[in-house]
Amino acid sequence: MTAILETRQLHKHFGGLSAVADVSITVMAGEIHCLIGPNGAGKSTLFKLVAGTYAPSQGEVLFRGEDVTRRKPYERVGRGMSIKLQVPSVFRELPVAQNLEISLQRTCRGAAMEAEKARLLEFLQLQDDAGKPAGFLAHGQQQWLEIGMALALQPTLLLLDEPTAGMSPQETERTGEMIKSLNAQGMTVLVVEHDMTFVRQIAQRITVLHLGRVFAQGSTDEVIADPRVEEIYLGKGHGH
Amino acid sequence: MFAEIFSIAFQFADVFAFLILAAAGLAIIFGMMGIINMAHGEFITCGIYVTVICVQHGVPLPLAQAIGALSAGLVGIVLERTIIRHLYHRPLDSILATWGISLMVTQGMLIVLGSSWQGIGTPLGSFAVGGYTFSTYRLVLFGAAVGVLIGLYLIYMRTNYGVMARATMQNADMARALGVRTQRMYAISFGLGAALAGLCGALYAPTMTLIPTMGITFIIESFVTVVVGGANVLLGTAPAGILLGVVRTILNAWYGQIAGQIGLLITVIIVIRMLPEGVSGWLSRRGG
Amino acid sequence: MTPMLNVLNGPQTLGNGRFFWTGFVLVLMFALGYPAISDPYDVGNIAYLLLSTLTALGLSLMWGYAGMFSFGQTAFFGVAGYTYGVISINLGASGGLTFLCLLGGVAVAALFAALLGYFLIYGRVSGVFFGIVTFATTLALAAFFGQTAGPEWAIGKARFNGFNGMIGMPPLELPWLDDNIVLEGIALYYFVLCLVLVVYLGLRILVNSRFGNVLVAIREDPLRTELLGYDVRKYQLITFVVGSALAALSGGLYTAWGQFIPPASMGLPAAAMPIIWVAFSGRQDLTATLVGTFLLLLVFQTITVYSQQYALILMGFLLLITVLLVPSGFVIGVGRLLGRLGRGVTS
Repeated sequence: MTAILETRQLHKHFGGLSAVADVSITVMAGEIHCLIGPNGAGKSTLFKLVAGTYAPSQGEVLFRGEDVTRRKPYERVGRGMSIKLQVPSVFRELPVAQNLEISLQRTCRGAAMEAEKARLLEFLQLQDDAGKPAGFLAHGQQQWLEIGMALALQPTLLLLDEPTAGMSPQETERTGEMIKSLNAQGMTVLVVEHDMTFVRQIAQRITVLHLGRVFAQGSTDEVIADPRVEEIYLGKGHGH
Repeated sequence: MFAEIFSIAFQFADVFAFLILAAAGLAIIFGMMGIINMAHGEFITCGIYVTVICVQHGVPLPLAQAIGALSAGLVGIVLERTIIRHLYHRPLDSILATWGISLMVTQGMLIVLGSSWQGIGTPLGSFAVGGYTFSTYRLVLFGAAVGVLIGLYLIYMRTNYGVMARATMQNADMARALGVRTQRMYAISFGLGAALAGLCGALYAPTMTLIPTMGITFIIESFVTVVVGGANVLLGTAPAGILLGVVRTILNAWYGQIAGQIGLLITVIIVIRMLPEGVSGWLSRRGG
Repeated sequence: MTPMLNVLNGPQTLGNGRFFWTGFVLVLMFALGYPAISDPYDVGNIAYLLLSTLTALGLSLMWGYAGMFSFGQTAFFGVAGYTYGVISINLGASGGLTFLCLLGGVAVAALFAALLGYFLIYGRVSGVFFGIVTFATTLALAAFFGQTAGPEWAIGKARFNGFNGMIGMPPLELPWLDDNIVLEGIALYYFVLCLVLVVYLGLRILVNSRFGNVLVAIREDPLRTELLGYDVRKYQLITFVVGSALAALSGGLYTAWGQFIPPASMGLPAAAMPIIWVAFSGRQDLTATLVGTFLLLLVFQTITVYSQQYALILMGFLLLITVLLVPSGFVIGVGRLLGRLGRGVTS
């Protein structure tokens, strides 16, 4: 397996606060990698550093072997990343189908686009809502639509920040199945998540962040079995 | 030598006073509600005309000026209650609405008041330093600008209203949850902003010839000061006034008024390129 | 016909059906025949109204489609007008050269827009501030040209003349066989009509294209759009330059039409007019903008004959009630109603 994404000694300070300190992680091609940690561990900051919406104070981000630290988000997307933020951000006033088209038009056009759109609508179970403004969809459906927009870019690496936030357990489970089926087709996925049930469902490898630093890293079984992780995360974190 | 230095300092003080007085009212409304009040110039005009009318009826100038500021404030509160409050969740629409009002008021005044009025003349005479003479009233204006800044500082840091206003500025929903009546905060702030605009007009009334469209004289300066200063009137407006005052004074001295005005605009565009949230956004981010 | 209509129609324009295009052809035929049933003075006047709609179409593109609040359309209008004056007066232009002068005016204004737009857009200036800075720019330009009364304010033979404005530039002349057709009255009317038609259809194609899809995405959520891999700021800058260049085209044509350009064309209340036209009409639709702007201009001009002040008060009032009652615009509202009726008729 080859590394598809690497961060090297990433630091991010806000004023005097160090949100991410000396974080080096590696995401291998073809895996589902979960980034977990209690609230305030720096997960979302790290996610934004990888996505490029934040610039690091120090350190490097490598994507497919290329240093993209200074690259803007759109340039990273152009190189094969695809990003879904935590808060669902679909184009609320535009129809669901147009939301997908805006994304799809980067990779295909004409009949191929229509076919791909139909396939995605079916995958997301949004066939009946294609003409509705995206803002009219239920919260969970908006999350799926946004995942669909990310998929439409045909990425090599899919970045998801808390994709199940605000979803019912059934919706969460279905999202997990979606992610696993994508992974089965060869897509690499990096997920920031704090719902451990969901993480157990999908993760192949896990990185635990705590107080802005890498606390543990390894296969899902190793990390979940690690008593220290239980102490900092499962112990405190279950309350959410 | 001293006379030259004094002259430069005097000109800077004059420009600074103009920027601060023109911008303070606009900045308060913008900082509180995120609304750019396009009718700002008309509140200034209101202050001017009320002052002049009072003086022409024998009211002493300082009292006339107070009445000018107060009446602009009252008009502001009425406007807020009737129109602006419907538009708080639509900041752009509030710009358009106030712009519509501005247009109607200016043209209405042209119809009612005619094109130009006799001014009331600048009081207090002048004094000499070295070979130069200076208008004493200009020093009063500078004092008033500094007074407005201090007054705002005291209002926002020391009064009940100020504490609640700052809380509302930080997070309106949270403030509401804590029992702040934000609607009332907005009305008071709009009134205060309008009154300060009226005060600006009242203070400058003796220095100008009166035409109903004169509010525009202040518009560019007030807008650029607010853009450079950013959303926080306490943190941003004074530094913005100093920065723009320096630029303007230098350009005025070398190239004349119009170069000063265009120089202001270029400064704004450069500042905004570097500090998108203005001076106050930059200062508060550095402060952590 | 069908493939051509395909690029013209799409989700970003309201009128897409047979009902709409039938109406469109009827209106166009009336416009083409209008000079035959009217006197030359009125025709020249309608040409003036038509050329102003270009400014509005540019603003609709920027504001309605891409979400950029440019309050500075008149700045580019004026810059192009003055530039047309400076170039044409100095060259003593006639014939096809006048078109080069017009092009020069538009180019200079577009360059100015690119420069201003670069600083604002790449400085990530947010919505309201974008409006304020562009507004302050046009006011400052008006103030600048207003004080150019002295003889020292001239470029070559072209005097700026302060408040009175620049005069003495030639009208547009179309080279035709061995002769030049001076574009005045009816000739100018047809020229402007063609131009408006081309710009309107061109913008329809643009907003219904992939580019237009990205523009409305930016209007809805710039960050989301960037995360789909689009260089948002590049799109915004291009849009700003195109929209401003349309105002510049208006300005150049206006100057050639009246052989006159004053600073008042940039300052207040002129600067508010494009905003009012577009807001009242419905900024999110090109057709509504075109129709609404034309009608408003017609009403405004009719009232101005009696009193300019009352006409402007009406404009201010229209802006206010638009915002309070129909924020998406009156003409768009009527258009949607007609659309519903139209569907009723065809089905």
